[in-house]
Amino acid sequence: MIALALATALLLGDYAPQPMASDTLSPEQEARVQHIGAQIRCPICQGLSIAASGSAPARVELERVREMVREGKTDQEIKDFFVARYGDWVLLSPRAEGANWIVWLGPALLLLIGGITIARTLRGPKAATAAAAPATAAPADDEFLRRVREEVDG
Amino acid sequence: MRTWLSVTGLGCLVLMVVLYKGFGKDPHEVPFLLQGKPAPAFQVTDLMTGAPFTSEQLRGQPYVLNFWASWCEPCESEHPTIEWGARAFGDRVHFFGVLYGDTAENAKKNLAQRSVSFPQLMDPHSRMALDFATTGVPETYFVDASGVIVHKYVGPLDRRTLAYLVQQIAPSTAEARP
Repeated sequence: MIALALATALLLGDYAPQPMASDTLSPEQEARVQHIGAQIRCPICQGLSIAASGSAPARVELERVREMVREGKTDQEIKDFFVARYGDWVLLSPRAEGANWIVWLGPALLLLIGGITIARTLRGPKAATAAAAPATAAPADDEFLRRVREEVDG
Repeated sequence: MRTWLSVTGLGCLVLMVVLYKGFGKDPHEVPFLLQGKPAPAFQVTDLMTGAPFTSEQLRGQPYVLNFWASWCEPCESEHPTIEWGARAFGDRVHFFGVLYGDTAENAKKNLAQRSVSFPQLMDPHSRMALDFATTGVPETYFVDASGVIVHKYVGPLDRRTLAYLVQQIAPSTAEARP
């Protein structure tokens, strides 16, 4: 029944069409399109790029990338076009600038702090013993100890 | 010890800032940066006549752009609302349907099944749609007489919201009732 419904829908043309097919690019240009598309977030997908998604908005956006590559726009100009409309949200990898540094450096910083904390904790007891050792070594002129020794030794 | 307390405190502060910026936001909401900015210029064609149509022809007039597609179910359910809006406010605000990711053939077939009183525009390669930063369909843009995008509505509109948003771009339509 489902197959029949799908076949009928296809025959009637009642599906999302692809009116945006354009002239093909050279393999190098198409590779660039895919490379740029992999960095731009699909607006209706969960963490997918427009190159990885088959949704209508992703296809529309990828076609625009294709068009801009054909026009000779640079990668940065193409990304700027999308950022101007959707903000940094549209980039799957946030730019390394401003508050975004928290995202880029945060994990490394946390790892560093964690590593130092672990190192200090592991080294801690030895350091404490070493620090305590001089305190246990009584000074030779300790009056109390001298008297105890005299008592013990007779 | 004091150094480590400072480092931990700084880390907590950064974490709080990050959480503060993130909390209360819908992670699925796509930012729209064109609100309050001039609407992009466009050059499209009338779906029915094939005549060219440009944004220049709308200079100084408020207008509503409804992006839709024949394959979009929510667009289908929204259509009566837009049609009502075009009839209720059409004397003051221009209404246009703009085809998104669709073919003229499919769109015409779809329109033949219902009554449409406002022009439908064909947007080849969805160039105009991307210039307006659409994220899918249906989406409706409200542009005031100075050419500024006052609001973008994502999803199917209801009459009350449509009336309210039209009011924002053409205040003299206050008497219209949803």
